[in-house]
Amino acid sequence: MEEKEVEFTIDGQPVRARPGETVLSVATREGIPIPALCHHEAVSPYGACRLCAVEVFWGKRSKLVTSCIYIPYENDRVETNNPRVRQLRRMVLELLLARCPNVEVIRDLAREYGADQPRFRTDATADTERCILCGLCVRVCAEVVGQYAIGYANRGMERVIATPFADHAEECVGCGACVFVCPTDALHYEDIDGQRIMKELKTTVPLLACRVCGRAFATEKQVERIRERLNLPDELAETCPACRGSQFRGVMEEALGLIPSTTSQKA
Amino acid sequence: MRDSARKALLNGRPKVFVGMATCGLATGAKKVFDALRHEVRARKLDLQIVETGCNGACFLEPLVDVVLPGQARITYANVTPQDAPGLIESITEGKVYEKRAVGRIGAEPFLLEDARKSYRRGKLAPEVKKVPPYSRVPFFRDQMHIAMRNCGFIDPSSVEEYIAKGGYAAAAKALTEMTPEQIIDAIKKSGLRGRGGGGFPTGRKWETCRNAHEEPKYVICNADEGDPGAYMDRSIIEGDPHSMIEGLIIGSYAIGAHTGYIYVREEYPLAVRRVRLALKQAEELGFLGENIFGSGHDFTIQINRGAGAFVCGESTALMASLEGRVGEPRAKYIHTVESGLWSKPSCLNNVETWNNVPVVIARGAEWFSGIGTEGSKGTKVFSLVGKVNHVGLVEVPMGLSLRQVIEDIGGGIPEGGVFKAVQTGGPSGGCIPAEYLDTPVDFDRLTELGSMMGSGGMIVMDDHTCMVDVARYFLAFLKDESCGKCVPCREGTRRMLDILTDICEGRGQPGDIELLGDLATAMVDGSLCALGGSAPNPVLTTLKYFGDEYRAHIEEKRCPAKVCRALIAYRINPDTCTGCTLCVAACPENAISGEKKQPHTIDASKCIKCGLCADACRFDAVEVV
Repeated sequence: MEEKEVEFTIDGQPVRARPGETVLSVATREGIPIPALCHHEAVSPYGACRLCAVEVFWGKRSKLVTSCIYIPYENDRVETNNPRVRQLRRMVLELLLARCPNVEVIRDLAREYGADQPRFRTDATADTERCILCGLCVRVCAEVVGQYAIGYANRGMERVIATPFADHAEECVGCGACVFVCPTDALHYEDIDGQRIMKELKTTVPLLACRVCGRAFATEKQVERIRERLNLPDELAETCPACRGSQFRGVMEEALGLIPSTTSQKA
Repeated sequence: MRDSARKALLNGRPKVFVGMATCGLATGAKKVFDALRHEVRARKLDLQIVETGCNGACFLEPLVDVVLPGQARITYANVTPQDAPGLIESITEGKVYEKRAVGRIGAEPFLLEDARKSYRRGKLAPEVKKVPPYSRVPFFRDQMHIAMRNCGFIDPSSVEEYIAKGGYAAAAKALTEMTPEQIIDAIKKSGLRGRGGGGFPTGRKWETCRNAHEEPKYVICNADEGDPGAYMDRSIIEGDPHSMIEGLIIGSYAIGAHTGYIYVREEYPLAVRRVRLALKQAEELGFLGENIFGSGHDFTIQINRGAGAFVCGESTALMASLEGRVGEPRAKYIHTVESGLWSKPSCLNNVETWNNVPVVIARGAEWFSGIGTEGSKGTKVFSLVGKVNHVGLVEVPMGLSLRQVIEDIGGGIPEGGVFKAVQTGGPSGGCIPAEYLDTPVDFDRLTELGSMMGSGGMIVMDDHTCMVDVARYFLAFLKDESCGKCVPCREGTRRMLDILTDICEGRGQPGDIELLGDLATAMVDGSLCALGGSAPNPVLTTLKYFGDEYRAHIEEKRCPAKVCRALIAYRINPDTCTGCTLCVAACPENAISGEKKQPHTIDASKCIKCGLCADACRFDAVEVV
């Protein structure tokens, strides 16, 4: 890994990468579009979808690399949209479209790359399949939420995102970060009768009603985790953001370390 | 120590070796061993019976070697428990048990010291002379055993016997007389390249790892051999476990590692047992642990057992698995020698590579680099399987032609067949047709043909093999073994398999060949690791060399090799059918009818093309069309 800034070019344009910065990150900063489905800046790169592939030239040699992982070297010449790159993306999209023909984001990308007429036969499960196994949900749960409630099961085409033993996940706090980060709308939750139901993950987590207004605003486990991390008093933790406002401003700022501690027990 | 050990190896008493690696056990070597021991006990003979590894001649197993004091070593093949009394009888009389004798060895080679210790004193007895020497047995004649140097010669559970053969002398020399730089230099000069598949120069790998800044460093032995039909690593571990450990000791010193791992398949229970025992022995003798050979170098080895995922043979997946995570690969833009196991510099080589290291150190880089071709030095063990007479492990100097390996050593194709192709390099290798049979076995030449050396699988196919079906078979394996992380491999292998299955089942369409080509390009260009990147090889090489067969399947709905069931039909030739009704009895679907002693017919609508009728017919009247 380079210790200092690296100068290289993307599509002929001279650019600089900070130490350890990937090509995708530099390109994004410079406004050069590179498609990616398994990338999110909040989590570590994974390199699974291969859509962000770019061709790197050095001397007379070149190779396709995944820009979300590849850290450039001095004088690399990166091409993000040449025929070889487009051909790979076209096939990746053709494959993804055959797997999930009803996912909007894939259909749009496939159209852009001329891969919207897949030559593969459609599977019986294609109508309902939305997951492309990008793993963003797994990474967000592990790296951001810190719960490791979901992972991968099986391998190859049998691979699925699953909770342990494909059953109710004790570790899941029902925060919904996985639902939020999913690029293909493959994960959902629904709040019904005081329960948050994570349908695809076979997990149900009780919701917590606001102490003030009585409206369910988060799951019990989620509030518990936040209370642990921030050391919040119960009243504050168990009050919804809307009701928190004026009543708890002082307590909140103190808890978040914004103002020095007063000895207040109750607002 | 070596002298006393050597006495243990051959102590003047008659000694009987029974080949009891997994391949031997599978053919009943344990029963032979028990029968021999029973005979010896019953006769109260002063005779040693020991287990040994496999010398590679798996088609001759169970193998028994007998050394009588002052006589040539005789190899007996296909020995059965019923042979035990006769064999023991002949030993007590100092004679040859002619029924099973296949070869004699005049002197025991001590490869590490370039010494040979003659078994024989005085003239050969005339009846011993009748047994051909190994140099005249075609299977052994052109072989050169470096990696397999001790397999079949020593008791793998005895560290003394390994030491007697010069074992641990190379490690002692390396640790006490050489600097790490000198060792790396020797490995570089030897031209040794990784035997696990990639063929990366071993010395350069070591050097990069040594120069990497992070500490600690690790050395790892990849014994997660997963290619269908390849079993050289298993055989080496089962027959000579200490050789790999010695290689690791030398490597750890050269690289500056104090911890080593052996990642071995759980499906190799005997190999796991052998390694465990060998590690314990090496620790007891101070070859592992602290201050090895007084050099100040500390080194220990741990065993990890793989749970059977093919992809865990890939270095980054293996390291992930070692760390206790899911065995899936990651991008290697930063090499594992810089950031591998627990993100520390890690040097991974396979069993055969580590096993070669003591030889390079003991015999010198010059000697080693004198064997082989320009770009590929030393020898390579191949597992020669499929439609070939002599199935087994063969170790040959690099540069021998495929033809020599298959026809001379392998004894050619079994009767009734004609050579069609040889698949080298495991499931993601390629199929090489007859016209390239004179290609030397060499890393670069095999790659030029679209195949690869891989770990050394060599599957011979005859003209009854459909190449589309072969490609389908390998893709089915790879589809199942893809970890599923990246799209080109996961979805690509599966779609390739779909297309190939369609072609084999008569649903091939125009455009299929082009689509296979497009898929292959994307998989080679876009896959995360070598599994996906090389998965199209079976398809690409069969398309390249046997494109006509694909076209016959797709355009004419015809399988030229008459293998693909959907594209063939069974028919009874009325001219040769005698109406014996044997086929009627064999048919599970009652699809055959006819009067006794009159030609019969097959009802195609009922026929499931199982071929039982053809097997039953004594007059070759059932034809495949």
